[in-house]
Amino acid sequence: MSIACEFEYAKPATLKEALRLLARRVPGGAIPLVGGSDLVAWLRDGAIQPGLLVDLKGLEELRGIKLKNGKLWIGAAVTFSEILESKLVKKHAPLLIESSGMVASVGVRNRATMAGNICSAVPCCDSGPVLQVYQASIHVSLPRSRKTIPATKWFVGPRKTAMAQGGIVTGISISTGKHAGAFAKLKRYRGEDLAQASVAVRVDAKGLWRVAYGSVAPTPIRGPKAERLLKGEKKPAAVLLKKASAVAEMECSPITDIRSSKEYRRLMVGVMLKRSVQLAAKRLAGRVADYGINCLEEDA
Amino acid sequence: MSKTCIIGKSPVRLDGLAKVTGAAQYVDDLDFGPGLLHAAVVESTHAHALIKKVHTAAAEKHPGVVHVVTGKDCPHMFGLYMKDRYIFAQDRVRFVGEQIAAVIAETPEAALRAAKLVKVTYVPLPKVLSLGDALKKDATLLHPDLAKYEKPPWFFPRPGTNIAHWRKTRKGDVDKAFKNASFILEDTYTVPRYAHCPIETHAVTGLFDLSGRLTLWASSQSPFAQRNVMANALKPFGLSHKDIRIITPFVGGGFGGKAGVSMEIIGAVLAIVMKGRPVKLHWTREQEFYNTSQRQGVIARIKMGVSKGGRITALEHTLHWDAGASAEYGANVVNAVGLSATGPYRVPNVKIDSVCVYTNMPPCGAYRGFGYSEFHFGLESHITRIAKAIGMDPVKFRKLNAIKEGDTLAYGAEMNPGDMSQCIDRVAKELRWGKKDKPSSRNRAIGKSLCCFWKAPAMPPNASSAAYLKFNEDGSLNLMVSGMELGQGFLTVMAQVASEVLTVPVTKIRVETPDTDRNSYEWQTVGSHVTWSCGNAVRAAAEEVKDKLIATVARAKRLKAADLYLEGECVKSRKKKDVAIPFHEFVIDGIMRPDGRFVGGPIQGTGMFMPEFTSALGDPETSQGGHPNVHYTVGCAGVIVEIDKETGKLQVLNASLAVDAGKVINRDLLNGQIVGGIVQGLATALYEDIRYDSNGRLLNPNFTDYKIPTTLDCPVKLVPMAVETPQPDGPFGARGVGEHTMIAAAPMIADAIEDAVGIRLKTMPLTAEKIALAMRGIEYDDVKGDNLGFCFRGKPCDYPFDVGS
Amino acid sequence: MKKITIQLNGESRRLSVVPNLTLLDALRGQLGIKTPKEGCGRGDCGACTVLLDGKAVRACLILAIETDGQTIVTLEGVSKDGLSGLQKAFLKNNVFQCGFCASGVILAASALLVENPDPSEHEVREALAGNLCRCTGYEPIVRTVLQVAKKTLTKAPVRGKRS
Repeated sequence: MSIACEFEYAKPATLKEALRLLARRVPGGAIPLVGGSDLVAWLRDGAIQPGLLVDLKGLEELRGIKLKNGKLWIGAAVTFSEILESKLVKKHAPLLIESSGMVASVGVRNRATMAGNICSAVPCCDSGPVLQVYQASIHVSLPRSRKTIPATKWFVGPRKTAMAQGGIVTGISISTGKHAGAFAKLKRYRGEDLAQASVAVRVDAKGLWRVAYGSVAPTPIRGPKAERLLKGEKKPAAVLLKKASAVAEMECSPITDIRSSKEYRRLMVGVMLKRSVQLAAKRLAGRVADYGINCLEEDA
Repeated sequence: MSKTCIIGKSPVRLDGLAKVTGAAQYVDDLDFGPGLLHAAVVESTHAHALIKKVHTAAAEKHPGVVHVVTGKDCPHMFGLYMKDRYIFAQDRVRFVGEQIAAVIAETPEAALRAAKLVKVTYVPLPKVLSLGDALKKDATLLHPDLAKYEKPPWFFPRPGTNIAHWRKTRKGDVDKAFKNASFILEDTYTVPRYAHCPIETHAVTGLFDLSGRLTLWASSQSPFAQRNVMANALKPFGLSHKDIRIITPFVGGGFGGKAGVSMEIIGAVLAIVMKGRPVKLHWTREQEFYNTSQRQGVIARIKMGVSKGGRITALEHTLHWDAGASAEYGANVVNAVGLSATGPYRVPNVKIDSVCVYTNMPPCGAYRGFGYSEFHFGLESHITRIAKAIGMDPVKFRKLNAIKEGDTLAYGAEMNPGDMSQCIDRVAKELRWGKKDKPSSRNRAIGKSLCCFWKAPAMPPNASSAAYLKFNEDGSLNLMVSGMELGQGFLTVMAQVASEVLTVPVTKIRVETPDTDRNSYEWQTVGSHVTWSCGNAVRAAAEEVKDKLIATVARAKRLKAADLYLEGECVKSRKKKDVAIPFHEFVIDGIMRPDGRFVGGPIQGTGMFMPEFTSALGDPETSQGGHPNVHYTVGCAGVIVEIDKETGKLQVLNASLAVDAGKVINRDLLNGQIVGGIVQGLATALYEDIRYDSNGRLLNPNFTDYKIPTTLDCPVKLVPMAVETPQPDGPFGARGVGEHTMIAAAPMIADAIEDAVGIRLKTMPLTAEKIALAMRGIEYDDVKGDNLGFCFRGKPCDYPFDVGS
Repeated sequence: MKKITIQLNGESRRLSVVPNLTLLDALRGQLGIKTPKEGCGRGDCGACTVLLDGKAVRACLILAIETDGQTIVTLEGVSKDGLSGLQKAFLKNNVFQCGFCASGVILAASALLVENPDPSEHEVREALAGNLCRCTGYEPIVRTVLQVAKKTLTKAPVRGKRS
């Protein structure tokens, strides 16, 4: 339906101009627009009433996936579909293939961006846990400076990020190196759904584990206790996995809402931790090649 | 039965080309020019409150606003069966979302903005959000004037209470039968509300032209029923049927939600107020959820007794329905169930109490299945349980007790033809019943189930169809009927009926969507009855046309009519082989005699079908004596499921269904109803989950949180099957199947879950969460929190069914 | 008000838009394009799908003003020069029922087969998972897309991606 709120629109050609426009004092404020999948829906709902929309799709700096200084760089204007099609992502950050494929549906992924996903910062954000286990860096340009914010510090609260007002995310960078991982998402069915809970795990060649949980706290969070328990184990045994599941259940703080009870979320975090660690271990050993499996719903 | 030509085949749908090219138009696609006005509705934020004042001044002043309409301008009520629904709220609101006012503006945005400026002052009243609150002693009454409401004679409201209707069926002596029963099982089952979710939301554009003629373009299943409701409700504006015209283009899904009248009458009133300019009202997805109609929630107590040999001897079935703020349509759902809640079984002693209860929740109405899906959940679950309890195979139990032609129904009439046994056999074979299947991993468990279903159209005893056929110069036909094409393929099936009689190919028959000024009457496109009812009318019209074709040729060529027949779009003679007169030569122009004069002229025909054998005059205390249902369609469905024991997630490996369609007129379309119905039914069982907060506000009026099936949620294998035991009074033996295909979905899932993992769930939906928690000994009701999935707060086993008699 | 130019179904079209006008409303209200439908307004149902520079997108979640200079294809464009193979197959198999999802499904399926001429059943389901259909139960839609893919397979099939 129609968007009742009225606002202005600008499409700057340079980053400098974009920052200047975002700093403008207009009634309702100025906000950036790239994919718009969240933003346009919020406009329609009347949840936001900005005075100016600054379209960043004209900025060259925000495009492209490349290797930059030994790190994988994903521009802020890169869509989930582009991530899914990228050979570089498949090689260097395959967990993003797994999580991106579970975001919404093709028609939304063709437009929605990962940067937008983490800027919206809803608690059930899919990219959050994966970027946290990748210890990704989010690169922000401000009017007079540039900042790099680690993914583990990016999410401050529901729909709140560490980026100052008026800033622009230009891209996200991820360190490269041999690793494997898995991302599992609790949904109400196989069709598209917001996560009721999610787990991301990453393990490197040394058996160092990183674990993150989504949608079971006000923001995506790391799981230090589970990480400590799994440390050094490249092929965790069933007994250890059982312990780790129990730890994962305790490390998260889910709530009960219309999507799920906290009891089920908690139990499923335990199951997801177990299954994603098992899958990640298989992938590290080279026994499973494909990324794009929700181990809560399918077998590898 | 004689061989047929096009009946039983699957010609390309008449509306297929329009739909694959995008030519098909729906209400919101129609253009009305720059004069079109747009409306936005002001909705109640309270479930129950007095309206102290409606402040419209700010809205009226908003740029672009042309008019603001409130309840003061339109103090009228409407209703399909019972007149208990308000076009605009008057002194009080009865559900969150109820329309209080409407803003009409030059643009949709202006209307939306101005609607937000209308402020309403409320005085809250006690909310009646649960059946318990509605039925308790000294309950707050939602309809204090219930006694005054217009209603059909076969509805029994209880003024002074919140009971809108109470259908009682009594047959035999249940008390005695229970005393003598070998085994008795008693339990309670609950089914929450559900939403239709047609992909096209409700839409109406109305024009009250300067001559005082009201035309509505509406997305509707029932233009004539709508016209009738409006003529009744809008009498104060000086309108009667002749002044109202309803045109319905293609409908983007109905499922019962577009039967009857909901928001369309608002559009009518706004058009009247804005005489001379068209006004459009188009529901958002959110409004589609909370301000059209929903499927009623129900809590049902079933007590069943069986003999030693496994025969059902007694059934006591009590159902309390949450009908919402208006029962104008929903009361008939309750009525229909009250007559049929034995399910498709022979039950000698029956006590059914089906009670329709007002609550401060959105009004409920018709939904595919019309109460049958709701009661089959409990009944079929119960049947499986009782069979297992006495050590009998549930399939054997069903076959033993299956209702057959000639058996006495609960209300005393006779059961029509229908071979449920054959349906059971076919489904059981497909599922390899009796064989244990191996799960795909240790973590998983396989379950199988088989359930039966039946349904009759729930119609007033004088629901009729009519048809009109005319030829064109090229020998093509226009068939004018007012059944609606909802997607089920109605237009094509009617064309096939006409084609079979007249030998005109389906590709030369045009059947358009209705216009109440131009098309013949159709009661409603509901109840899975139009193939049967309108098919009969079309056949009658075609037979009349056939007679005229023959009579014209007979007269013109001085031949004996008895020797003439139709073949290949020609009139031919059995006696004179050289006689073959193509229709196109004479169906408009007539036939020229040797003397140059013409015989004949435009050939057209009419047909009408009224089921003259039905009556609603049953005993109000027992329902005995009437013949309220025209016939039942029976069938059977089953599933094989695989459940992940850790997550509770369930995948349907095989969903098979066999329905006795009497005669399959179009196989593709029948399969469409079976596959579509199964998937829709499984969704209600597995993940559709409506939630309200404790203020009566719907929390998930969107697809983000009310999940309907996607391509990823289908059974791995779907097996549609049809059995054909002719319906003696149906066109070529056909009877309807549209609703039946979803009815068994919920109980078959419940049974399969129990078969797989030993958990018996008695409250829908049967989600992975409930299964997983139950497997760990956690009861879902204890952890679900405040959001009401169902309007009974406590545990179903604690629900007090006793509300007098 | 801003004037934008788009390539719509092979023709250059110029229109005046205000920023808060969605692409869906611009197409339906100003350009006479009625096949993308409003089903939910939130990108959940796929009925508003159009092809934007070849990619299936949700027209209800895009502002018209963002599409200046871009290419848009709707079902009107697909149907203009006769039925595509997909349309013919959908018609022959009596796939669509109410038809409201048809535009979105046909465009999404068309885009899939361009990108992935030899999709697996899972890939077809994944590509169409964002197009809600309440009528058909999807089975005939998926079966037909696979049928068409097999028929028009080129000599060197491209291995589909698992998404």
